[in-house]
Amino acid sequence: MRPGYVWAIFVKEWRDLISNRLLLGAVVLPAVIFAAIPTGLVAIIQANDLDASQLGQIEQYINDFPDVPAKLAAQGFIVTNFMAYFLLIPAMVPMAIATQSVIGEKLARSLEPQLATPMEVGELLAGKTLAAALPALVATWIVFVAYGLLNGAIADPRLTRFVFSDVWLTAMLTLVPLICLFSVLLGIVVSSRVNDPRTAQQIGGFVVIPIIALAVAQFFGGQATFSLQQVLVGDLVVAGLIGATLAIGSWAFDRESILSRLA
Amino acid sequence: MIVVEGLRRDFGRVTAVHDLSFSVADGEIFGLLGPNGAGKTTTVRMLAGLIRPTDGSATVNGHAIGSGSQRIRAFTGILTESPGLHDKLTARQNLEFYGRLYGMHGRRLHDAVQRYLGVVGMDEHADRRVGGFSKGMRQKVAIARALLHEPEVIYLDEPTSGLDPSAAKTVRDFVATLRELGRSIVVCTHNLDEAERLCDRIAIMNGTLLRVGTPAALRRHGRNATVRVELNGARGPEWFLEVLARLPWVLGAQPRDDRSLLVELSEPHVETPDLVAALVGAGARITGVREEAATLEEVYLRLVGEAGERDATGAAA
Repeated sequence: MRPGYVWAIFVKEWRDLISNRLLLGAVVLPAVIFAAIPTGLVAIIQANDLDASQLGQIEQYINDFPDVPAKLAAQGFIVTNFMAYFLLIPAMVPMAIATQSVIGEKLARSLEPQLATPMEVGELLAGKTLAAALPALVATWIVFVAYGLLNGAIADPRLTRFVFSDVWLTAMLTLVPLICLFSVLLGIVVSSRVNDPRTAQQIGGFVVIPIIALAVAQFFGGQATFSLQQVLVGDLVVAGLIGATLAIGSWAFDRESILSRLA
Repeated sequence: MIVVEGLRRDFGRVTAVHDLSFSVADGEIFGLLGPNGAGKTTTVRMLAGLIRPTDGSATVNGHAIGSGSQRIRAFTGILTESPGLHDKLTARQNLEFYGRLYGMHGRRLHDAVQRYLGVVGMDEHADRRVGGFSKGMRQKVAIARALLHEPEVIYLDEPTSGLDPSAAKTVRDFVATLRELGRSIVVCTHNLDEAERLCDRIAIMNGTLLRVGTPAALRRHGRNATVRVELNGARGPEWFLEVLARLPWVLGAQPRDDRSLLVELSEPHVETPDLVAALVGAGARITGVREEAATLEEVYLRLVGEAGERDATGAAA
């Protein structure tokens, strides 16, 4: 793997991304929306006291925060419970970028001139993977930090500690990059077989279903957020999926297959 | 130098190319002519190290395709059928990107980009996005991309497609200068006139090689050159047949009509002046002399048609 080739692809992809406003919106908007909804709820609770009947309805959830006032516990539950949706950003965004990149190049027939250079296919894929994964990773981290600081500022500094917990710091540093990588690889593998970005994204969209299912199960189970063990198990599962996708990708995205499937 | 021996490529049950053998010397422009689906692009992709042959072998400057494909790609320039540029990047950014993929950096890359933007007449548009370019402008940038790293072997698929006559001439002239630099150049084209003007030798193919030769040899299609002599005097064509029979380099002669003769020669460029002198010496009044040859188009259509008939007969049998 020669870094110069990977860097050349990364820079080209990055230029493509920043000149594509629609795709750039797809990177930024989901992150902002996932952070804005719980922050808005926290702000509403901060501005309005909860009455006894409301507290009774969410008693099951606020029990996760036994040592803080009920109002802060409710805000804590909302802030941490919504964080599961932060995992959707690395699942959705890199796939959108990767499918757009590969299929866009297939349709523009710009893959063949690249494959005709001395660059290896692995170097091409590494550059594309970095370019698709990094924006989502950075966006997730920026929104995560802003989310923790903003909620602490508008309600109670202890909310910042709930967000920057060991569990979520571990998830941000391990699970989020792994999901980004899996999302990109799956996007590339699917894109190598089809010539329509929408079809690729629909097939790849199955990645988000387990994450949403986890978030919903967590809410109805009355669990405010994941445990450290759950995050580590998640790391292992996603790492296994990455291994499987790499094995499939090595034959799905070879020079000959791509050229014989060009639109 | 390119040497191809018995190359074959199958895609599943479909054979795109079979029994293909030819060679291209250093400093030669070699044309590949054939109908759509004749296997020209597949041949170029195999020779450029993009896909492996199913059978047969080929070497490009001594490197075998397959095992030496990465090395081959490093000294090969390819103009693909479609320009395949990146619309969101400027012409300069496109060339810089490909230059880096060919291992160029710094001053060398900068100078090469500037030079080839000038060669194809795109320096004024260098910093505009390619997405807004016309087909011809894209083609020019794609040509610059194929030549940027000073490749030793160059494959050009329809190089003047979409270009106006002036730009097409510029490209043809530039390709001719590459020949003088000793580069091996393979041109795939449907443009018979261009092939004839540009190529030293032409291969007509349709899945396999149908015929290869210089444009002049192809026009004769394996026959001797025939020169038509127009006469305007008291003596008719028959009168001169005896004179012509005494000339050893005349391979045959016959009246075409009562005003002209058809004379077969082996080297018309050399022998035609002597033929005219001999006829004038015998009292002929000549109003015109020209070589009677089939056009390349006629030869091409005949060969491709015959190949099609053979395939149809074989399939029926």
